[in-house]
Amino acid sequence: MMRKLSLAVAATLLTGVALAAAPKHPDFTGVWTNAGAPAMGGTTNTAANVVLPMLPGPKARVDAYNKLVQPLGETPGGWCLGTGLPGSMLGSGGYPMEILQREEQINIVYEAHNEARRVYFGARNAPQEDRVPGRNGYSTGHWEGDTLVVETDNLVDQIDQRFAHSDEAKVVERYHLEPKLDDKGRRVLVADMTLTDPKFYSAPVTAQKRWAQVPNGRLLPYECAEEGWNARLAEIAKKAGVAVP
Amino acid sequence: MNKFFILASGVAFAALATSASAHHSAVQFDFTKQVPIKGTVTHFRAINPHMQLILRVKDAKGEHLVEFEGHSTNNMYRNGYRKGMVNEGDVITVNVAPLKNGGEGGYVVSADLAGGTHFGMVSRSLDAAKIQQQAEGK
Repeated sequence: MMRKLSLAVAATLLTGVALAAAPKHPDFTGVWTNAGAPAMGGTTNTAANVVLPMLPGPKARVDAYNKLVQPLGETPGGWCLGTGLPGSMLGSGGYPMEILQREEQINIVYEAHNEARRVYFGARNAPQEDRVPGRNGYSTGHWEGDTLVVETDNLVDQIDQRFAHSDEAKVVERYHLEPKLDDKGRRVLVADMTLTDPKFYSAPVTAQKRWAQVPNGRLLPYECAEEGWNARLAEIAKKAGVAVP
Repeated sequence: MNKFFILASGVAFAALATSASAHHSAVQFDFTKQVPIKGTVTHFRAINPHMQLILRVKDAKGEHLVEFEGHSTNNMYRNGYRKGMVNEGDVITVNVAPLKNGGEGGYVVSADLAGGTHFGMVSRSLDAAKIQQQAEGK
């Protein structure tokens, strides 16, 4: 009798331990690469193939910007500037990204330009007044079942984006894993993005990005700014009338 | 920033000082074509966002320097390049996407090196869209 009771207690304890150890949410930790056609970078909806509901004022700015840079083929990335949101999460220049996931914080690193995002959960979030505006803004996260929802604001005005936007833009990303592996046996992470911006758009802008996991993948370092410093050093040396040391 | 520095003696200062003004962007290259160009390496740097290469080339114009750019260090490493593979004085053949304006130079898609080694995309199965996208990987 005692033996049966002990076994029952042990089984209950083991079940409890198993339940406690079970992750509350899907684990997106890992390195991910484009899952879609290379030309699209896995993105199913780009500024190139949709008519954006852009308001006249911002459209004039974007047209002027394109007229200025496109004949030269200039890009921010060519000058080592990170892509910023939403371009970073929609393509990252075709380079992979890494996700490191903890319960209270998720870090996302895009290999191109070592661009990093931090998604904070609950009490881990900074007070609103301490959130610093930037090209990738400030991101806060929560879970809706197995879907990770990331809401980003504190973005800066970026007319150099695939989806240009103002400093009032807000981006919502919804990440979920496809139920089946792809034909190469990889997990596929789907990101559905919605951009709203009353200054730039008359309606929300949406796009989807699909990432495939790279087993045991590693990001490579991406150093880019050294040439700019070398050029500056040469200018300084020239002004001083000396050779570059 | 991506201008290839002409390091011939006497002009290094001027070239470095103006290097930021002549960046070649990927949109200027025709990635549907590939042209092999053989020459002697006079300058090479594997850097981001684009590698730098100058070859001394002999052709109908005589012997002269031709500047190229190519993939980021990251994409080069993912496609077979490793440190020390390309050195000044090496005779190599680069397969380039030519400039759309017909100018000299181009975007190095792959390279056949001394000793038979190779790095870069396989030219026979050129995926122009992929290369274009990686090139715009900024």
